[in-house]
Amino acid sequence: MNLLLRISSILSVFGHYPSFILAYIIETLMVIIFATVVVAGMVYLFRKYMARVQMRVGPNRVGKAGILQVMADGLKLIQKESIMPEGRDDLAYKVAPVLIFFGLIMGFIFIPYGPLAWFGQLTVSHSDVSLIIIFALIAIMPIGEILSGISSNNKYAVLGALRGVAKDISFEVPMMLSILAVVMMASVKVSNPLDINGVVVAQSIPFAILEPLGFFVFLISMAARASYSPFDMGESDSELVTGNTTEYTGLRFGLFYLGLFGTIFLGSMLISTIYLGGYYGPYTNYAGFIWLLIKTVVLVVISLTIWLSMPRVRIDKFVTFGWKYLLPISFINLIITGILIFGGIA
Amino acid sequence: MENKGLKEKYIELNMGPQHPSTHGVLRLKLLLDGETVKNVEPVIGYLHRNAEKICELDFYCDALIYFDRMDYVGAMNMEVGYLEAAEKLLNIEPPERVVWIRTVMAELNRLASHLVWAGAFGLDLGMLTPFFYVFEQREKILDLFTEICGSRQETNYMSIGGVYQDFNDKIIYKIKEFTKQFPKKLDEVYNLLAKNDIFISRTKNVGILEPEVALDYGVTGPMLRASGVPYDVRKAEPYLAYDRVNFDIPISKGKDVLARFVVRFEEMRQSVKIINQAIDKIPDGPYFNPKARKSLMLRLRGEGDVYARTESPKGEFGVYLVGDGSVKPYRVHVRSPSFKNLSILPYLSKDVLIADMVAISGSIDLVFGEVDR
Repeated sequence: MNLLLRISSILSVFGHYPSFILAYIIETLMVIIFATVVVAGMVYLFRKYMARVQMRVGPNRVGKAGILQVMADGLKLIQKESIMPEGRDDLAYKVAPVLIFFGLIMGFIFIPYGPLAWFGQLTVSHSDVSLIIIFALIAIMPIGEILSGISSNNKYAVLGALRGVAKDISFEVPMMLSILAVVMMASVKVSNPLDINGVVVAQSIPFAILEPLGFFVFLISMAARASYSPFDMGESDSELVTGNTTEYTGLRFGLFYLGLFGTIFLGSMLISTIYLGGYYGPYTNYAGFIWLLIKTVVLVVISLTIWLSMPRVRIDKFVTFGWKYLLPISFINLIITGILIFGGIA
Repeated sequence: MENKGLKEKYIELNMGPQHPSTHGVLRLKLLLDGETVKNVEPVIGYLHRNAEKICELDFYCDALIYFDRMDYVGAMNMEVGYLEAAEKLLNIEPPERVVWIRTVMAELNRLASHLVWAGAFGLDLGMLTPFFYVFEQREKILDLFTEICGSRQETNYMSIGGVYQDFNDKIIYKIKEFTKQFPKKLDEVYNLLAKNDIFISRTKNVGILEPEVALDYGVTGPMLRASGVPYDVRKAEPYLAYDRVNFDIPISKGKDVLARFVVRFEEMRQSVKIINQAIDKIPDGPYFNPKARKSLMLRLRGEGDVYARTESPKGEFGVYLVGDGSVKPYRVHVRSPSFKNLSILPYLSKDVLIADMVAISGSIDLVFGEVDR
């Protein structure tokens, strides 16, 4: 019994198909709200944590301990005037932030959230190839970055977008290779290794232990995907002002901001799903979702710590790193995985 | 012909004057080939306030506040620089106590200036956290300044032949307390930055400055010492009480951005050493020269010309004063180290990446009040 079926059974008065469609819509809305709330929570956590690291107090004026500060900032961004640069490529300029938001939300839809008490399985949608779908959807976000860069008629933005492209192509190949190793490993145990839920089910031993190299590559790829420091060459504020988002204001900027923090959360969720056993833990049938959240939050805090303590990597160094080290490492990981499978160890 | 080709191939980028990493109001005209910097042209003057000319229109004692506002991060050292020249011109000897007090204050301000630099340099490399660590310490120094002179940055503390406020036991105790806890905190920041592999990869072998070139361009201060030239005015031509305290001139053979970082941090350790010695040696006595007491201050007349150089946190700070026998200086000229050091930027950032160019310009330690004057 999953959440979708429960909602549709409540709505069954409308008939069979309409109730399913309504249930889908409701659950998708729930995911959007979940993603937004989670990102807002993350921004608050980030600001408080950052303040803690930097011996400051952080937000403490709006609401108790500054809890409402994020909301106030969000409202401010929404009601701000949107100043658009002259000579922009209008369509691309307006589509770019939406693409980023779209990719982020769609990424959340296929994640297996696991069971939670009465609600049952929380997963919104599943497919036999959901692992591929997720990475295809996440790959939409760089398009948004590039579009925003080249459409806003600003040299900083163009340079930021170019850096973004250089960065993306240098880590996406190793990332997909490490995912391939995961699929190989999962195919031993389950019949649907391309389904991300199958990957979770296959992890009686977390893949982080079986494939430490792949875990390492994926961790770095997710950090680079979210583009926080040390991988924030795209929007490096001391060199390119803010890179591709330089010319964005108001809500559109807010969407980019949401994209940044959302990607950190989504990335942490993917890492915990693919490598750390996802919703598995004690009392999985009741508290699987809680386990997933705990693993994710731990990874988020680790990401924020890295963010706050690292200087920026130079773009050419990162490209070298991607092609010279990450790619061979992920190949070695692939070979080791093959040996493990043939040896019957995994 | 060539120009036409250039236009097709290169991007021209205007960095600044409003840009996060230009330390105020530096404008850089960059010629970019993709990410590679082909040419840098620093455009300065956005903070030009005509300080030298204004000094010429005022009495000798009034020029101090304009010197405060030159290198506003290291105001005490600017005051020392001016007073070295003015007191020579006006034939006024500061009492012994004043000399030692000034030494302590100048070194405290050198600490503050280098701390600001370390924080800003971290920002240039995309690291926000060290900024707050160094500013905590800097704030402590500025609190000391507030207590001694009533002002934080542009202190206007020293005067011709003296200082405005005497040191008391409480202040001496507080300075001692500060220097006791400071080295540990300094090491914390140093380890946070210099033991990070990314930091080293961003700074090592970047912006290599050969000592001969540095001397040709007139580069001084930590920039020069990081290229391996042990030149420091405090040793070469001692002023204040520097010949009576024991300290080393840190140099590095690295010649790169990392070397400048290491040299500045080592210099801070030496400054603490100087303060610790000087604070114990402050003798009793008057804190101003009676020849330059308040009622006589506006009647000071100087004749002839003097040039005095001092070691400001940025480098060799020179003041040239010409007096025509009246109560106002005839000519005031300042050799500002940041300005001379900035001239090396186009040389150093040929064919480097934008990120390296930012690191190099960060390593110069620019303060625009002093570059533009």
